[in-house]
Amino acid sequence: MTVRVEFFGIPRQRAGLAMMQIEAGSLGAAVTQIATQFPQLAEECIHADTLHDGYLANVNGLTFTRDPSYPLNDGDTLLILSADVGG
Amino acid sequence: MFGYHGRYLRVDLTTEDVVEVALPADVLQNFIGGVGLGTWLLLNEGQPLSDPLASEAPLIFAFSPLVGSPLTTSAKFAVMAKSPLTQRINDSLSSSSFAIAGKKTGYDAFVIVGAASNPTCLVIEPTGCRFVAADECWGQSSERAADLLREQLGKQFRVASIGVAGENLVRFATVSHEGRHAARGGLGAVMGSKRLKAVAVAGDRTVEYAHPHKLVDYSRELSRKSFGPATAKYRELGTATNLLTFNRLGTLPTRNFQASTFEHAEDLSPEAMLTTHSRTRASCAACTIGCEHLYSDPESPDAAVRIEYENLFALGPLCGVSDPDAVLQASRLCDELGLDTISAGATIAFAMECAERGLIDADHLRFGDAQALHQTLRSIATRQGLGELLSHGTRSASREIGQGSEDFAPHVKGLEIPGYEPRALQTMALGFAVTARGADHNRSGAYQVDFSESVDRLHASPAMIPPAIETENEASLFDSLILCKFLRGVFDDKFMAMAEMLRLTAGWDVSPDELHRTAERIVTAKKVYNIWQGWSPDEDMLPKRFLTEQLPDGTGFGATIDESQLRQLVCEYNRARGWSDEGWIPNNQLKVLQIPIPQDYPSLEGSSSATS
Ligand code: SF4
Repeated sequence: MTVRVEFFGIPRQRAGLAMMQIEAGSLGAAVTQIATQFPQLAEECIHADTLHDGYLANVNGLTFTRDPSYPLNDGDTLLILSADVGG
Repeated sequence: MFGYHGRYLRVDLTTEDVVEVALPADVLQNFIGGVGLGTWLLLNEGQPLSDPLASEAPLIFAFSPLVGSPLTTSAKFAVMAKSPLTQRINDSLSSSSFAIAGKKTGYDAFVIVGAASNPTCLVIEPTGCRFVAADECWGQSSERAADLLREQLGKQFRVASIGVAGENLVRFATVSHEGRHAARGGLGAVMGSKRLKAVAVAGDRTVEYAHPHKLVDYSRELSRKSFGPATAKYRELGTATNLLTFNRLGTLPTRNFQASTFEHAEDLSPEAMLTTHSRTRASCAACTIGCEHLYSDPESPDAAVRIEYENLFALGPLCGVSDPDAVLQASRLCDELGLDTISAGATIAFAMECAERGLIDADHLRFGDAQALHQTLRSIATRQGLGELLSHGTRSASREIGQGSEDFAPHVKGLEIPGYEPRALQTMALGFAVTARGADHNRSGAYQVDFSESVDRLHASPAMIPPAIETENEASLFDSLILCKFLRGVFDDKFMAMAEMLRLTAGWDVSPDELHRTAERIVTAKKVYNIWQGWSPDEDMLPKRFLTEQLPDGTGFGATIDESQLRQLVCEYNRARGWSDEGWIPNNQLKVLQIPIPQDYPSLEGSSSATS
């Protein structure tokens, strides 16, 4: 499954880029790949295949999830965000 | 008594009478401080159906048991009064050394009534009160006025003052100090109506804490945690980083809420501005997080401008302005003039839409025109030309303009809606509808629920009610202790942590359950104040635009708020709080919660709506 990943806030700072494409069938698989590619981001935002409490994933701008088994489909967009959005 | 002085100072500016009034221990335990204590004082000091700009209207500065302690982010105070913008309760918080110095005067609050005959600075010290002529400061920005007064009085004084907008009774004028603002609801106009240019405080009266050594240890640990990942966003990018996230999620109010995404959001983002502008970081007094990010303004290289999500959204996308320098200048102007950036941006955005629809005669006012934005900010502060109409806020302006403009005037209870598109954040829509202050992201934290796995943010459901209540209760405690809400990600159990802080400072053995009750008391007391001032159930609703127009863009494309469903949620929210379906509070609940029943409070006992 080709998934577009977009980073926001701290995840964007740590990844050093705004977006990328990966092949992944679930949130856990996507997060694991991201962690391998961006050790600095992994250190702060990821534990194994799960995002830390302060971070959250969103699929296609609609569904928020932190569940590693959440399925991703071809063409999905995965947003990686800071969970606290107060302003 | 630990953590408190146990008294407040009551000052009458008309007669120059000054009285110390004892604060009973049970009142402090029931209402804590800050917003809670301020609400109790308003219920005791106010008049029913009063004019907020009348001389007898009370203006309150309230401190808290945590101010002056080593607990990070606790250097805060609440300014409270009946709002001249909303005619409802208004509690604005701010933080700076003014909070610490204010509490060191030896009082837990100041209640200011009456009006001076000439521009005055009220000076409060442990040795007494003075009324100092402030004619030289009148017409100056709040920052300049504070400088002049500190030169005259001494550098030990900390000064909260108003700008030109407050002097001119603009209904969304701020009370400012050290570059920070108690911004919402027009408390600067309340000061202006009293010809009170400034309040200056200094002192050396400290309070004792119940467990001083353990408090230091606890504070050290809290400061350590505050450096962790939960606050990294605030430290590194500030709240302005929400701009791109909100744009992507279709929750960024644009062009007076006609859209939920802004095509130039990237240009305005702090991520982009960091590559083109120099930036420094700052923090409120006694804060280890430091979420403030100040950017250089090319027009005024000596003045760094504080950029947060709310001023960025309101003076940028909401007005269709895409040039970051123009937004920096607009922000600086608001600071100098003493204008609330949210209400100022929203009022001008509303006027831009009216002008584009031909409802007002203002050809120069078009979305995206930065010069028109700057010019209109100035005219609002001086109440000249179109500024006179707009200086009363969107509700009042729309009533005067008519022609259907009330439907798209972006406010609830008269308070302009902050940067959270309610059609795409429907728990927040409920929060906006019911919160006592009006449309408000600081008193209702319901948006936290929308940005989570718990609800479908585009479709209202009863599942939104318990978290909307929980986040509102939580906010009322943060605002009464007072602590910065940006700490919330740091605590495993917020109520447990707050109970521990109160044990260490005030010496209370209070359980998290009792604190839930306290939160309920404070939220209910604010509603009591509103009922006393003429609240009616139809105020708990959003403007027509959000109920009839679908979102034309973004991930929430097509979303709208179903009016009957929102009414049903409001009704269930009221029931869950133990109020009537319409939102009236049964008298026995006031007794159980020990909320003072104010003089001439409308008796609803026996009415079916009050007893359900
Ligand atoms: S986190 Fe920001 S708003 Fe909160 S106390 Fe610190 S500097 Fe002030």
